[in-house]
Amino acid sequence: MDQAHGSVLDAVLAIALKDATAELRRRTAVVAVLFFAATALALVSFAIGPFGLPPDDRPPVQAALLWIILFFAAATGLPRAFAHEEETGTALALRKTLPAGRVLAGKALFNFVLFLAIAAVTVPGFAVLLEARAGSAAGLAATVLAGGYGLAVVSTFLSALSARAGQRHVLFVLIAFPLLSPLLLTAIQATLEALRGGFPGTPLRVLIAYDGAASCGAYLLASVAWEE
Amino acid sequence: MPSATTLTAENLSKSFSGPPLFRGLSLSIRGGVVGVAGRNGSGKTTLLKILAGLMRPSAGRVLVERDGRPIPDPDRRLAVGWSGPDLELYGELTAGENLLFFRRAAGRPERREDARRRLRDCGLDEEAFDRRVEEFSTGMRQRLRLAFATLFEPDLLLLDEPANGLDAEGRAVLAALVARTRERGAVVLASNDERDLAGADERVELGAGAGRKT
Amino acid sequence: MKILKLLLLPYMAAVVAAAFLWPEPAKGFIGESSRIVFFHVPCAWTSSLAFVVAAAYSLAYLVKRNPWHDEVAHSAVKIGLLFGVLTLITGSLFASIMWGTWWNWDPRESSYLLLVFLYAAYLFLRAAVDDPERRARIAAAYALFAAVVMPFLVFVAPRVTASLHPQTVINPQGKILMDTPTRAVFFGALAGFSGLFLWLLSLDARATRASRLERAR
Repeated sequence: MDQAHGSVLDAVLAIALKDATAELRRRTAVVAVLFFAATALALVSFAIGPFGLPPDDRPPVQAALLWIILFFAAATGLPRAFAHEEETGTALALRKTLPAGRVLAGKALFNFVLFLAIAAVTVPGFAVLLEARAGSAAGLAATVLAGGYGLAVVSTFLSALSARAGQRHVLFVLIAFPLLSPLLLTAIQATLEALRGGFPGTPLRVLIAYDGAASCGAYLLASVAWEE
Repeated sequence: MPSATTLTAENLSKSFSGPPLFRGLSLSIRGGVVGVAGRNGSGKTTLLKILAGLMRPSAGRVLVERDGRPIPDPDRRLAVGWSGPDLELYGELTAGENLLFFRRAAGRPERREDARRRLRDCGLDEEAFDRRVEEFSTGMRQRLRLAFATLFEPDLLLLDEPANGLDAEGRAVLAALVARTRERGAVVLASNDERDLAGADERVELGAGAGRKT
Repeated sequence: MKILKLLLLPYMAAVVAAAFLWPEPAKGFIGESSRIVFFHVPCAWTSSLAFVVAAAYSLAYLVKRNPWHDEVAHSAVKIGLLFGVLTLITGSLFASIMWGTWWNWDPRESSYLLLVFLYAAYLFLRAAVDDPERRARIAAAYALFAAVVMPFLVFVAPRVTASLHPQTVINPQGKILMDTPTRAVFFGALAGFSGLFLWLLSLDARATRASRLERAR
């Protein structure tokens, strides 16, 4: 009758794996999100491709567009984290067994992986369709990772908050945008520097600090966001 | 036999933007079977959810203790088992995967054979282990709910309408489960149906805004 | 308390009059436009103050679960939105006089725009939840999370190397570069606007509480 709970890591990995398994069998979120990213990419390419931007002007435009697409693609798929649990009624079982912080961390991990899948489609897409050339590939990769992590954590937290609110889809973008603005603006700046060839040390430091603060805030407030 | 794990509710009241469902309700669950009776809408489900820690009361508190000392979160969640009509498990996963997931997430992984045994003890046959829950019938789902409630072998069971959708065989399984838990702990059983409450040692009546213990 | 409220009106009238009559317009600004500092900066200060008040009362609500704390936080956000919009409008007026455009995407401007969006988002979130207890709890969680991440906007400002925004009151030398009349009216305005904020906050929060108690009867 040993009823002591396990470690945080047990819970986080189990939840991320469960979400991944369920998602692979259901496929609704992954398909919607990748389809969105591909469509947005195509639209953007068709819209600005013909203008033939001079090489100097391309990086700012590419940096901004990349993160706009990533943000909206994330807004399409990541909020499902908690919304789906509420809709299917499985939230009760989860809440009965696990503390909110661990559930949030597990779902944030899954959402981060989902984000990486989006980025894996979008970033190469940019390279091909918009002729984006990263001067510092390492810088770009680091930016996508650091920015994506923050995006995943904040989106997961807000998903918990809005899981039982009305107007969920519109609401999510409205409440996510102001909170993510520091992250998005910094990520765009970092991407710009990476595209221009330098390793974006300063913006990356800000991103990592943001990620840390957001993670702590989300974990501590998780039970408030998601309790009955 | 008195339970090692005890649940004490002090002065509970709950209202949802309106008149309170119940007020000043105090309970001491130390052993045996406690039946919770009341018409539909009298607050049985809400009360059980509050006792299970799934809902906050508007006033009052719930204490879960082992050997006189409060059990800290998150262990407290495993010390008390709960099942209710709105409990759902993951449809895309099989029954086996569901049970194994919750065990693993709580840091108490178990072998597949043990999970199979659990399902058998709840009256589900061999093939249910590998079937997706979305394909389950009502009766099967109810048995799965009982498996969830007993997943961590709690001393305390909170069962809300546990006989819903169960046939005679299912009811027998439920009765055996209640008897087993009563031996070492306590069961709180909420139901509309008097048959389910027949064997209760104590009784709580809900309704008309207050709770009485008889 | 009532006396302070009654004094607020003549005090603010005096501040407004003084803003236009007493100090000389500052050098380096076009015409009388420097006088905007007596309105624009206090509005900005007040809307930032509102954010802090909302966050503090949100925390208090989560600890004590007293609906009054939630009402104060809610009112603070509403008033913060009002003053935030006023900040943007006064800033925009100034920009149109000094540089001929209404908006410049200056980092300081932009961060205030984002603050206004944040307040609006908080109000949208509240509007989307029906149950009062859940609404209060969710709003409090949002406000506190915002308190954690929004300060990072400060780090976004250095993006633009040369900002058009005039040097702020709190500057690197740590001294206040204003002459005496200007300083007097400025701090007077700051105090007045803060008083205005507290008065509006008190009014709105009490009105909300009154309607809640009325509904409970």
